[in-house]
Parts: sequence; C-alpha cells; structure tokens
Amino acid sequence: MTKALISTHGLRKTYGKRNNKFDALRGITIDINKGETVAIVGKSGSGKSTLMHLLALLDKPTKGEITLDSQPTAKLKARRLNAIRNKEFGFVFQSFFMNSNDTVLNNVILPLKIAGVSSRERRRRAIAALKTVELDDKRNNKANNLSGGQKQRVCIARAIVNDPKVIFADEPTGNLDSATGEKIISLLFRLNREKGITLIIVTHDLELANKCERQINIKDGHIVSDSTTDTELSDNVDDDTDNWEDEEADTQKFAGDNNIDGMLDHQPHITHIDIDKEEEE
Amino acid sequence: MKLLDIIHDANLNLLRNKLRSFLTILAIFIGSFSIISTSAIQAGVNNFIDSQVESYGGDGYLAIVSKDSFDALEGLQGTIGSNSKEPIEYNPDKIQDGMTPITKEKIEELKKIDGIDADSIVEQKTLSISYVASKKTDKKYLIGAEALPPGNVKVDTVTGEGLNLKADEYQILLESKYVDALGYTNENIINEKIQLVVVDQFKKTEKKFDAKVVGVIAPGVVSMGYSYTNNKLADDIYDENIKYYPPEYKDMTVAVAANYDSEKYSAQEIKDKLDDIGLSAMTIDDIIGTIKTFFDVILTVFKIFGLIALLAAAIGIINTLFMSVQERTREIGLDKALGMSSMRVFFNFSIEAISLGFWGSVFGITVSMLLGNLANNIFHAEGGFLESFPTFNLATYTIKDIIAVTALIMFISFLAGTLPARRAASKNPIDALRYE
Ligand SMILES: Nc1ncnc2c1ncn2[C@@H]1O[C@H](COP(=O)(O)OP(=O)(O)O)[C@@H](O)[C@H]1O
Ligand SMILES: [Mg+2]
Repeated sequence: MTKALISTHGLRKTYGKRNNKFDALRGITIDINKGETVAIVGKSGSGKSTLMHLLALLDKPTKGEITLDSQPTAKLKARRLNAIRNKEFGFVFQSFFMNSNDTVLNNVILPLKIAGVSSRERRRRAIAALKTVELDDKRNNKANNLSGGQKQRVCIARAIVNDPKVIFADEPTGNLDSATGEKIISLLFRLNREKGITLIIVTHDLELANKCERQINIKDGHIVSDSTTDTELSDNVDDDTDNWEDEEADTQKFAGDNNIDGMLDHQPHITHIDIDKEEEE
Repeated sequence: MKLLDIIHDANLNLLRNKLRSFLTILAIFIGSFSIISTSAIQAGVNNFIDSQVESYGGDGYLAIVSKDSFDALEGLQGTIGSNSKEPIEYNPDKIQDGMTPITKEKIEELKKIDGIDADSIVEQKTLSISYVASKKTDKKYLIGAEALPPGNVKVDTVTGEGLNLKADEYQILLESKYVDALGYTNENIINEKIQLVVVDQFKKTEKKFDAKVVGVIAPGVVSMGYSYTNNKLADDIYDENIKYYPPEYKDMTVAVAANYDSEKYSAQEIKDKLDDIGLSAMTIDDIIGTIKTFFDVILTVFKIFGLIALLAAAIGIINTLFMSVQERTREIGLDKALGMSSMRVFFNFSIEAISLGFWGSVFGITVSMLLGNLANNIFHAEGGFLESFPTFNLATYTIKDIIAVTALIMFISFLAGTLPARRAASKNPIDALRYE
C-alpha cells in the first residue's frame, strides 16, 4: 500500500446528545494520496462538510482515526493542530468568509499574520499569491466591493499564500454562476498541476466532480462509491438510492434506535453504536 | 502575530463600530475623569498643607507651653485662630488670662526627654499685645504675634518684601485678615505704620509700638492667625511684657518650639512624656489635622463615586465586547480555522478591552488637566475664591497619579474583558463557520 497523505479509518461523527443524537458520519475509511484531486460528492446533508472538517483537522471524530503523513492526529496538541492548519492546509469556503471591510491584501495576509510572519515578508507573499489569481491590481480594494468570482479568487489566494500541501474547498462554486465557477475550477486545477497541491473538494456540482481524478460519493454518512478504490460498493448505491426517501425520513429514528437497516451488510461494525458516545465535544 | 499587530488590529476593530466604542469610552471617561480630578485636588490640598507643615518646621513640630498655660492658649487660639475670618475687637474690660512661664530647669528637663531633639528647642517670645489699631479706624482688635522663628522663612506673603530680621526699626508681617479691618488694602498698607499697644491692667498705662507693615501673610487654611515681627520689635514688646514681672520670671519664656522624632514616637507618646514634667504640647496634627481629615473625607467620597462610575463603565465594556464577539463569530471561526490559537483570540479581545480603557483614561485625564488648569487660573484671578490663596493650586497633576489611574483603569478594563474574551476563545471554528 502506498503511503497516503491523509488516511482515515472507521471515522464516525455523532452530533448532539442522548435523544438528539445524530450520526453524520457512520464509518468512513479512505486514503488520499499526495497530489490527488478528490471530489466528495453527495446530496445536501449527507455529511460531506462534516467529513471535510475532520480531514482538515478542524474537528475531532467521535470514533475512528485520521493519520496525516502516517502520523496519527488524535493525540496532537491544539498548538500542533493549529500549526498544521496554518502552514500545511489552505481553505476555500462556499460563502467566502472574508473580512469584507478590510482590503483584499489584508484578507490574503491573514494566515501569515497568524503565523507571525514579518510584515514586509507577508506583504510580498500575499502579492505573489494575488498575482497567481490575477488580482494583484485589486489588492487595495475593499473586499466588499469585489464580485463573487473575484471574492472566491481572493479566498484562493488566501488559501495558497502559505504554500499549503492540501487545499480543502467546501462548495467553492456554490455561490457562483456557472461561467465564474468554471474559472475558479480551472484555477484550482492549475494549482494542482503546477504546485502539486492536493485538492479535496466538497461539491454537489457533478461537472466539477467529474474533473477530479477521484469521486467519493457519500450518502447518510457512508461512502456509497469511491471511483478509484472499489466498485463493490456501487452495487449498493442502487439499493440506497431506492430507499433514499425513506431513509431521509427515518434519519432521526436511526439515531434513536441505533439500528441501520440496509447498511448492515456492508458495514457490520456499525450495527451497534456505543451508548457512551456522548462525550462528543 | 506580534503584539504591535494585535494592538493595531484591536484599535481597528474598535473603529469598526465607532459609535458603540465611543459610548463605551465615554463611560470610562467619566470614571477616569472623576478619579484623576479628585487625585489632583487631593494632591493640590496635600501640597498646600505640606507647605504649611513645612512652615512650622515639619511633621515633628511641637508647640510647648506649661500645662497651666494650655487652657489660656486654647482660648487665645479660639479668638485669633484661623476659623475666625474677621479679627475680634478689643474689650478693655475683659482681662486676658496670663501665661505661666516655663523655667530654665524645665527646659533642661525637656532636653533630656527621649525623642525630643535638644538642638531644635527654641524659646519663643509669644508676645502679649493687647490690641492693634491704625489711624484709619477707631476700632481696636485683638492680635497674636511672635518673632519669626529663626531659620523659618517660609511664610508666604501676598505683598511686601518681608521682614528684615535685623532691621533697627519696628517691622511686622501682618496676618491678612487685619488689612481690611484696619482700613487698608493689601497694596496700600505696605510701609504704613500700625500701632501695637500693650496695656498694663494694674497701672492702666498703655505703651504704643509703631510698626511698619512690610508684608501681608498669604492666608493659609492651617495658619494659626499669627502675625510675625522682626527681632527688635519682639524684644521691645517682650521687655514691656515682663517689665512688671518679679525678677525671677524675667529670664523665662512662656512658649517653646521643639521637634520630636515622629518616626519613632507617636504624638500621644510624646505628649504623655511632656505631661509627666508639667508641659503641654500641640503637634502639627492638632493644628492642621481636622482640616486635612475634612478634605480627605470629601475627596474619598468623590473617589468612590469615580470608582462606581468605573464599575458601570466596566459593565459597558463587557456588554460592548459581548456584542462584538457575537457579531464577529464567523470571523473568529475563520481565524481559528486558519490556525489562530484560543489564547491568541482571548488576547485579541483582552487587548480590545484594554484599549477601550486606555483611550477612556487618556481622554478623561486630558480633559481633567485642561479643566484643572483653567480652574486654577479662574480661581486665582480677581474675585476668584482662591484669590487670597495665591500659593494654593487647587488641581495638581502628578506623573505618579496619571500613571496609576491609567494603569488602574486598564487593569479594570482587562478584567471586564476577560468574560467576552473567554467566550470568543472558546468558540469552536466549525460552529462559528456554520453560524449565520
Ligand atoms: N453541529 C451540528 N449539530 C447537529 N447536527 C449537525 C451539525 N453539523 C451538521 N449536522 C448535521 O449533520 C448532517 C451532515 O451535515 P453536513 O456535513 O454539513 O452535510 P453536507 O455538507 O453534506 O450538506 C446534516 O444532517 C446536518 O444537519
Ligand atoms: Mg456542506
């Protein structure tokens, strides 16, 4: 087995407590290699963002483990996790998350400022990042005055300003029209080609997903298909799809009686959910 | 992120909601203004009192008379003491109590008392003058006068050149309340002659001394109401006073000034020791203590008001920052997602709180200093209530007070800021990013 950049084993994430328990992820095992472009697809509410947050070390799984560069992350100190997110990851979000009253340059600078880079150096690197997204002429504009596509490019500049190994993008085109979305997509793929940055993109945009080397299809917290690893699961996609409406309606019930019909065959270890799973958060 | 970055960003964040920050700073301003202003007034009053204490010869000053004289002296204080604004008119039918002299042997005993500085003992010629009069008025007034104690030249004067101790003529530094009563003004009384009269109760004779007024004493809140004479005038009046005394009294004195070791002994301990040898003493605190206490009480009350205002302002800070944490939930989430530690988030908000406090106190101190100096000028101008206290600056700002008040307010602001800062620091980046 090749050494994966990020790999997970039996990831589970349960939100809420007792009667409000909700299993957003129900056992995710994947390996993501360096330089890969991975699309996490699935319907709204299927657990894509939750998975991405776990992979990006923004949150801790309720059960299961995540290794980064073969290093288990569960026991890492908060300071180390912060440093990893700050130096090795880049983030792009659907609704941008910018300080809209601040200038473009200051928005791009943010990760470097957090890292404590000197002001001259961080300015230099931010301008370089803005050049990559072709927005360096707008660096002194207020972020608020940009179009949606420009905002997302600023966010990409912010994501690459620290030379990350991985970019996590959660619905990067979700708030954009398709033409602008195209540009953002090609920008992301160019970064992957030219800098070897691993892309992990959450999307329900099939077009975007198909541009990625690999698609991981999530449904109700399970991987129902993974284009590179197995096809075995794809059989079940049909089953699941058939039952989709019912399951949607029964989600709470699953959480309640810990019994997931129709899934048992493929993921036997989920049949029983520990009652003491409450100390989440 | 460096400290300068944090301070810079904190102040930028405060500017994002100018009105809210301004109102919070205004609340702090009220607190800081009252505290620094009361401190300034306290410093002014204390400076003034200290200069008065200094003019008596410091903290250890003792005015000593024989025990029998003490009641008489207190009576004299009552009539000529600082509390009466107008001099008391002379009543020839009312005979003044005599003073019992202190013998040479008593002074030797006094020198041996532990805690008394033997070298500081000065025999004071407390002169017995029956009344003072001038050619501008028919009225006669009681007056207390003594030779200016040697080495003590710190009597503030309003006008005039002051005493020439060795002058061959009669000179007097006149207590200011007599100027008007004798029909003069501070300016035109200088170099005029007034009459100091000693009446012999038995022989019914009057002896007049024409004394040239060489200065008017600036009124002090702690002044005993004494006028001061040069040596020649004091000697001649004293000779007149003891002219009819039995010969053995002629070598004696009725009052002695001395210093005691105020670090080692309390005033009461020294008084008890003196009491054992038949002497009574007044300390500086007896003379000025009540006035000082009065000011201290009033100013402490104002300071408490200032602190209450600051507490209210602290609640304002808490409120402002809670709102700001709420508003900036997504921003905090982003910061944390991008690797900012909880400590740093806490620190950012703390610095914002401290900045609010800093600006509030700078604002309060500046306005207080402007008003304080304006007040000093107005009160000293003609018709101002401090016109006759030219050496008394109502508001005195010391570096120490300014730093202390700023530090106190910044500290209170920090404490107030910890609550919202903790809320901000404990935000989970995911929840914060999902927050709408
Ligand atoms: N903090 C939370 N508390 C409770 N439920 C949550 C929380 N976050 C997400 N969920 C639920 O988990 C499921 C998966 O959410 P998410 O990962 O955001 O889905 P997706 O990104 O695929 O739309 C959803 O049903 C959502 O309501
Ligand atoms: Mg999502």
